[in-house]
Amino acid sequence: MPSTEYLFVFAQSHEEFRVPELLSISELYGFTIGFNRYANVLEKAVKRPFMILTLDNEEHAKILAQRCIMIKSVHEFYAEGASYDALHEHNCRARPQWERYIPDTSFKFYVLGYNFTISQRCQHEIIESFAYMDFLGKIDMKDPEVTLTVFEEYESDRAPHGELHKYGEFKQVYFGRLIVDGTARALIGTFNVKKRQYFGNTSMEAEISLLMANQTLASPGKLIYDPFIGTGSMAYTTAYFGALVYGSDIDGRQMHKTPGIIRAAAQYGVASRIMDLCTFDVTNHPWRCGSLFDAIITDPPYGVRAGAKRLGRKKLREDRDRFQYASPRPNEPYIPPTKPYELSQLVTDLVHLARYLLRPGGRLVFFLPTVSDEYAPLDVHAMLCDGMELVANSLQDFGSWGRRLITIKKTSLVEYPPPSFDSVRDAEESGDMYVPAHKDFREKYFQGFKKESES
Amino acid sequence: MVRLITHNLLACHVKGCTTNNFPLVFQDVQVELQEAEFNPDFIRNMLPRLEWTALVNAAKQVGDTSLPLEQPDMMDDELLQKLHHALMEIHIIEGAMVCQNCRHAYPISNGIPNMLLAEHEIG
Ligand SMILES: C[S@@+](CC[C@H](N)C(=O)[O-])C[C@H]1O[C@@H](n2cnc3c(N)ncnc32)[C@H](O)[C@@H]1O
Ligand SMILES: [Zn+2]
Repeated sequence: MPSTEYLFVFAQSHEEFRVPELLSISELYGFTIGFNRYANVLEKAVKRPFMILTLDNEEHAKILAQRCIMIKSVHEFYAEGASYDALHEHNCRARPQWERYIPDTSFKFYVLGYNFTISQRCQHEIIESFAYMDFLGKIDMKDPEVTLTVFEEYESDRAPHGELHKYGEFKQVYFGRLIVDGTARALIGTFNVKKRQYFGNTSMEAEISLLMANQTLASPGKLIYDPFIGTGSMAYTTAYFGALVYGSDIDGRQMHKTPGIIRAAAQYGVASRIMDLCTFDVTNHPWRCGSLFDAIITDPPYGVRAGAKRLGRKKLREDRDRFQYASPRPNEPYIPPTKPYELSQLVTDLVHLARYLLRPGGRLVFFLPTVSDEYAPLDVHAMLCDGMELVANSLQDFGSWGRRLITIKKTSLVEYPPPSFDSVRDAEESGDMYVPAHKDFREKYFQGFKKESES
Repeated sequence: MVRLITHNLLACHVKGCTTNNFPLVFQDVQVELQEAEFNPDFIRNMLPRLEWTALVNAAKQVGDTSLPLEQPDMMDDELLQKLHHALMEIHIIEGAMVCQNCRHAYPISNGIPNMLLAEHEIG
């Protein structure tokens, strides 16, 4: 079957997550998406909510729309233009694609403005301008056989000089036939944290938990692990897509009494897919062997909401702490001492742990917080190691800081030994250490990301 | 809900405890059965990672004697069903898992094993 062009309409937020999500879901279902139009301009193109992509099969559009959180709708692409003249000219050339609907097909026309509300009267005029298509079937607003949509794309809410856009000053106008509405977006409501049986201040918002789950290629029979599970936000979404999920956390309180995670999972009908929850420090973990998981999905602690810590003691305060911890009161559970766990070390350790625990081809999906002004792509490349390759790096921008959803794939077929969790110290001692912008993220966060010279 | 598959994947990780640190032995356990979706491909995929003898013994310890002592070369559907039951549907709710080598007892309460180590047990 020859490949056809499709107009993809995306949700407005999370621009950098769109393409990685499309690629993940097409990989999961074993088909390809053509990005030919964007060969050299993909970086610019992803900022816009419309993309024209090629697929071999209309079914692929439906699969994507059922699973990709960022998709609002997919259309068979007919025409585009910077003006209506150009659009209509293009649309006439596309006649072979739509002429089969001329004689006897019920239809409906839609006109939508992106970043602009088009008045009823103008919508009507626009629809009239397509009269030359000469569709003879009846107009059916409720249940038409084909839905034709015109999208006017305005640059942003404001024109360049700050005044409101004027009608007609769009950047581009698109036209096509609706194939499918994005149904996966409804899951954002399903997984609403506020309506969950169990959540906390570390819970990850529903939309992001779903995007993360898609990056893992979660599907029935896959085994997925969250080593910093907290309140389990990503366990629910990955399990919803069919995966079996293990979780662990250093903080056992979050998981005890009919564990909250199990109650919340039951709410989503996936309790039996929570394999087990364990309490341990991931730097002292009890996994008997490696190559176990198809994916690791996690939001590592970066010290702002939930402390990043590991078993052990701070070197400096040894004497004082020894005194403190010397005699646990009877009847109280033993709580081992912990020390802070610096973010760049944690992240390097996480990548090494993933290389050990993942099966070949498995993915590590996690958030890396970064300082916007200081971030450099090398920050991410420097944390990779032999056998681990970067698949995607999508920024969620909060202004002075942001977090990057990193997807890394274990490409190597060999089995690796368990990591030492001292990789950074080893490198520090040998003196050749690259210092990424996310190092000491917690301190920078609480200083408001001022440069040293400013403070 | 420590499932037997989980039990089969965890080893004692006390510093220096590297021989005879697996399998952990159940102590004073309370068992519960919970139905799970049967996915034969998942079971087949996991098999190369599992220790058969440890599984057979753990199952026996909690009253399931359906598995053959030796791992058969061929996995027929009936055996996969039995494995599914043993690995995925038997849950340990309370009790402990004890290391045969260093005697560390990992308590299980409300179905969650506490695998945290004490200060003197970490590397
Ligand atoms: C950002 S939170 C994860 C939040 C989680 N995604 C949720 O939905 O609630 C990080 C978690 O890591 C845990 N943690 C911190 N240090 C740890 C360590 N060394 N080993 C295991 N867990 C740790 C914290 O207890 C916290 O629950
Ligand atoms: Zn031991």
